[in-house]
Amino acid sequence: MKRILMGAVAAFALTTGMAVAEYPEKEIQGIIQWGAGGSTDTVMRSVTPHAEEILGGTVVMQNMTGAVGAIALNYVADAAADGYTVLMGAENPMLYKIMGLGDKDYSEFTPINILARGTPLLVANNDAPFNTYSEMIAYVKEHPGEVRFGSTGPGGLPSVVTAMVEAVEGDLDVIFVPYDGDGPALTGLQGGAIDVMPAVLGAAIEGVKAGNMKALGLVDVARNANLPDVEVVAEVNDGYNTYLPWGPFFGVFAKNGTPDEVVAKLTAAYAEAAQNADFVALMEGRGFTLMNISGDEAEAFLSKWQQGTAWLLQDAGMTKASPEEFGIARPGE
Amino acid sequence: MQIDPEHHDGTSDATPGGEPDKRRPGELLFAAFLTVASLYLVWDAWGIENSFGPNGLSSPRSIPLATTVVMVISGALVLLRTARLPLDRTETVSKDILPWTVIVFAGLLVAYGMALRPIGFLPVSAAFLIIGIKVLGRRSWVWTISIALAALVAIWLIFRIVFSVLMPAGIVPEAELVQFFRTLFSGGAE
Amino acid sequence: MTALMDFFLVFTQPQLFLLVGLGTFAGVYVGAIPGLSVTMAVSILISFTFSWDVYPAISLMIGIYMGGVYGGSRTAILLNIPGAPSAIATALDGYPMAQRGEAGTAIGVTTVMSFIGGFIGIGVLALAAPFVSDFALKFQPRDYMLLAILGILLVGSLSQGSLVKGIFAGALGIAIGAVGRDPLTFTERFTFDLNLLNGGISFIAVMIGMFGVSEALLQLHHVDKDAVRQKISRIVPSLATVKKHLPLSLQTSTIGVIIGALPGTGGDIAALMAYDHAKRVTKNPEVPFGEGAMEGLVAPETANNAAVGGAFIPMMTLGIPGDAVTAIMIGALFIHGLNPGPMLMIEKPDMFWFIVGCLVMANVFMLIFGLTGIKLFTKIVEMPRAVLIPLIMLLSIVGAFAVNNAVTDVYWMLGFGVFGYFMRHYGYPLGPVILGVILSRLLDDNWRRAIISEREELGRFFWGIVTSPLSLTLLVAVILIFVSQTPVWRWGKSKLFKES
Repeated sequence: MKRILMGAVAAFALTTGMAVAEYPEKEIQGIIQWGAGGSTDTVMRSVTPHAEEILGGTVVMQNMTGAVGAIALNYVADAAADGYTVLMGAENPMLYKIMGLGDKDYSEFTPINILARGTPLLVANNDAPFNTYSEMIAYVKEHPGEVRFGSTGPGGLPSVVTAMVEAVEGDLDVIFVPYDGDGPALTGLQGGAIDVMPAVLGAAIEGVKAGNMKALGLVDVARNANLPDVEVVAEVNDGYNTYLPWGPFFGVFAKNGTPDEVVAKLTAAYAEAAQNADFVALMEGRGFTLMNISGDEAEAFLSKWQQGTAWLLQDAGMTKASPEEFGIARPGE
Repeated sequence: MQIDPEHHDGTSDATPGGEPDKRRPGELLFAAFLTVASLYLVWDAWGIENSFGPNGLSSPRSIPLATTVVMVISGALVLLRTARLPLDRTETVSKDILPWTVIVFAGLLVAYGMALRPIGFLPVSAAFLIIGIKVLGRRSWVWTISIALAALVAIWLIFRIVFSVLMPAGIVPEAELVQFFRTLFSGGAE
Repeated sequence: MTALMDFFLVFTQPQLFLLVGLGTFAGVYVGAIPGLSVTMAVSILISFTFSWDVYPAISLMIGIYMGGVYGGSRTAILLNIPGAPSAIATALDGYPMAQRGEAGTAIGVTTVMSFIGGFIGIGVLALAAPFVSDFALKFQPRDYMLLAILGILLVGSLSQGSLVKGIFAGALGIAIGAVGRDPLTFTERFTFDLNLLNGGISFIAVMIGMFGVSEALLQLHHVDKDAVRQKISRIVPSLATVKKHLPLSLQTSTIGVIIGALPGTGGDIAALMAYDHAKRVTKNPEVPFGEGAMEGLVAPETANNAAVGGAFIPMMTLGIPGDAVTAIMIGALFIHGLNPGPMLMIEKPDMFWFIVGCLVMANVFMLIFGLTGIKLFTKIVEMPRAVLIPLIMLLSIVGAFAVNNAVTDVYWMLGFGVFGYFMRHYGYPLGPVILGVILSRLLDDNWRRAIISEREELGRFFWGIVTSPLSLTLLVAVILIFVSQTPVWRWGKSKLFKES
């Protein structure tokens, strides 16, 4: 009896071992957290075909939108941890807990690859009475309650950038006009509905180059080759060095508990795919900074990002719950 | 087209039946339900609070509150008007509103919804089509099953293979099957 | 000169030519099946055409887009189930025609009118794109809000029967559109603490349920009745018919181009507004509206196809998508190494003219495929109801799931199907519900944006409206349409006529 049982266990171990060795033995579901045509969607759809080739399998990408991406995150978290359902997401889940949007974040996932990071940029309507970041700050202080800033809801890039500006320059008396994404907000900016918009470089760069809007300042520590003449906020005020570099990011994630071999295979595939010349050219042309990190390096990046951003928002009074409640330590502690 | 003079033809969009000056069976109950539900929604809309800002004119509450108030007013008007109409005695609930086929199909749809996730798209849909076509068509089992399966295969091929819509697989190892054929075909191509 | 060559590129290369044709053909069927959307098809094509050159990829996508917008009308006419939201208005008069056995005529008129609308849209794109996009950018949040109110007033023309019931249905639609986390503040609205309501209710699921499932349930009353035999002898409408409706089609195409070019509004709203316009300007239709009026087909179909050309206007000139499909196409251009944006027209004018060429080609293919194969399509309605009804239900289920790959959408679809069934029985119009859901976000978001921009001061808000020519025009339109629908006006009018 015991021998049979041992045999069965051995056979079972053997088959599971084989299954892993053969991964992927069926198509992989890639759940994209944002809608078709958005930044996350475009990045994922341009890197994944390269990864498919290396993996020798098929990745079926599906857009699952809703509740700031929480629907997609919960879907992958509820699926089996077998590497056949992966999450393709952006930075938002790191703020779900403190924003009261959900009780899960990327700590429940293993980063397969953090592909790239965006750089925030402050852009303004062409008719705005200021041309650089420093002029804007001066104008806002002289004309309280007049300048309209675009925003994309609590926890979105504009809210973080604004919190940063207020932390460094003191409170700004401006009107925040909410939009449901940076695309519609930049459209509103060109039509004069708002004056200033903090947006990711990639979304605004073509408009700036064409002269449809003007770049006030890059929210970064060094100038960018794509827009060499644009002022960098850290040059203007030293205080920014505490928070920068900062930016939204895109990554592929597998649920915690996925077999190590599977994670290794996926990681290797995406790491190689992210070095593909076409993909690199694509990302650089759009002003994204390639990261291509995984494993411990990615984990460290994620927790540093979360600490910095969560506490910044907490100090700005924009959170629903303190990061402390979720064990997110203040940076530097 | 045949129009049943006693029982109105039920095919046009807005008014599948009923006469404008008479109340259909169950109509009053439906109007009352809508009004009560609207009242509840007003209360729910009042409870919407903006956790990140002021609750003024621009709050997430304003439009829901306005629309639910419109719902209550219009719903109550409809209720009053319906109550004043005389009941249409020529119609009955079981014949004109909820004949047994409708109840059977509503039941089938509910069962479909409940079974979809645990059992999976293919078996549940096959069962649904076979039962549905059998109940309505009253034709032979062979005819029923072959029509149902042919339709299901066509739908599955279009949605699953062409459009990669991954309906819940349930107990059927769909993905493995697809991969098997994929390798078969790619193997054959080389 | 080079522009002309780029324009003709698609006509001279057999491969591109074939791809546009293939795309258009596939698009007609994708559009006709409720739940399979053009948006979905185009986003799948992105991965599919990843390794292709950019020209063939774009030709295929444009074919699908053009064919798909047109295809939605097919099922609307034949089954009273709009294949896409932009075909809702088409069902109002198309389905009664099919019930009289005139499905062939209805499809013929729809096809020719879509062709005309398509051409006008493309013409405006080719000749006046920069002007139209400058105009579209002028729309401020308050203007979008007024536009939404203008849309909500359509409840009047969509409510056959009781207006009060129509108003209730419209308000219900707006409330359904608000369900879920508010996209501006992430506040939960009408979620009743249920997780499955957090993501909101997809309006496609509502539409499929209310039109598809409730129609199928309603058909259960007539299982034993023979299907309507369709006369399909005369499909191509006579020149006289086309000529007669030409003035109307020009007006509704203009509505289509402008609404299509506005970022944030698309073919669905354009088609409904055009339907309303047709009802307003057609003094004596041969058949009353809602019972199979030809004008009720002309207006929405010209408008939604004109909106295609319109949607490309902000995309090509500014890199701003005019609707969901052009948003994905921007992504596709980006993946293929182009930088879609305002510089595209300057740096790569060939791409612009190539796209115009593809659109023209797709429009011609749409006419060809639209006027052929109708026999096969009408066979669907002549299928035994015992097979058709379960099949419609299953397609509705798969379609609702496909919208967002969520089982919860299937539940909502079924719920609204049963609810819609009762609404139909008790004379509540369904059109206003869908109208409300479509306009909900447009109204809510833009009202809030507009009032926030004025620091929540109503005085400043109204001052802003009356001092801007565009807003003032829209406000006057809202007031005029509103007054013309209320009893006060009819009373005043009758009095005036008596006196004179």
